[in-house]
Amino acid sequence: MKYSSKDVVAYSKAKEYIDTAIIPLIPFSFEDEEMSSLSFQKDVIQIYVDQIERELKGRVFVIPEYYYLKQDKIAEEKERLQAFIDHIAKQPFKYIFLVTSDNKWRKVTKDMDIELIWIPGIKDGHLEQAETQQVIKSQVQEIQTLIMDSWNE
Amino acid sequence: MADKKNQVSRRQFLNYTLTGVGGFMGAAMIAPMVGFAVDPLLKGEKDTDYVYVMDVNEITNEPQRKTFQVDQVDGWYESKVDRTAWVYKDENDEILALSPVCTHLGCTVDWNSNQDFPNEFYCPCHDGRYDKNGVNIPGTPPTEPLHSYDFQIQDGKLMLGKAKARKGA
Repeated sequence: MKYSSKDVVAYSKAKEYIDTAIIPLIPFSFEDEEMSSLSFQKDVIQIYVDQIERELKGRVFVIPEYYYLKQDKIAEEKERLQAFIDHIAKQPFKYIFLVTSDNKWRKVTKDMDIELIWIPGIKDGHLEQAETQQVIKSQVQEIQTLIMDSWNE
Repeated sequence: MADKKNQVSRRQFLNYTLTGVGGFMGAAMIAPMVGFAVDPLLKGEKDTDYVYVMDVNEITNEPQRKTFQVDQVDGWYESKVDRTAWVYKDENDEILALSPVCTHLGCTVDWNSNQDFPNEFYCPCHDGRYDKNGVNIPGTPPTEPLHSYDFQIQDGKLMLGKAKARKGA
């Protein structure tokens, strides 16, 4: 499910089946040297999330992206994110996954009741290339297995 | 006198003609604009496109997962989308191309993926199960069989169209 008018209707009817939330954490910046790599990372994360959503649509809800400035202090971001997560957890969502390629989150989310899926940033490349797509496909499968394993725990 | 009443004065005549002609010109300008604006909505979904998926002689009794691309027109957006089908021959040697979208809440089902339920389509989200013909197994969440694609065979090539609901279970 996505946060779109069509899916939301289905969601409210089947809430008890949809117990997993995915939140993409996406940093951005307008610094010259960062802009191209950050925007590329954003594209990549969105592809991952779209693919996962497609496969596990009936149990996974993709929350609107959490955007923040790259130069923001991560400690302050943590508070805002925590409030964001608290609100979502109330729905209730039993499993909450954060998806990001920003490794700053690793430390701060350790004591939070969520799972962090860190996707290694792909260097600027072409998403149309067959090899890149192959890499993404196999990694998406890995992440899917990880999510499914946590359901069966 | 009666004649005079029915007569239209020069001023009135000019008024009528101007409104009439003006109205037509206005309509002539606005109609195409409205037309262009709502055009994508009027077109609706294309129902006739068939896409090549595989050769008929490659189809086995074991379901094979095939991916193909279709042009999807979705209101304002037109895009290429990946579709997947499970293609195989059933026990009567008839070709079946099933959509992998679980009829419960739309997850993607897999063939023979769960050791506990061999030779079944299995949905990882809520343990939905379908037998080899794609018919949902009672007692699991799905309420109808997997949808099947319309297909055509041209020169030994299997072409798939749209996935449609089937009767059963």
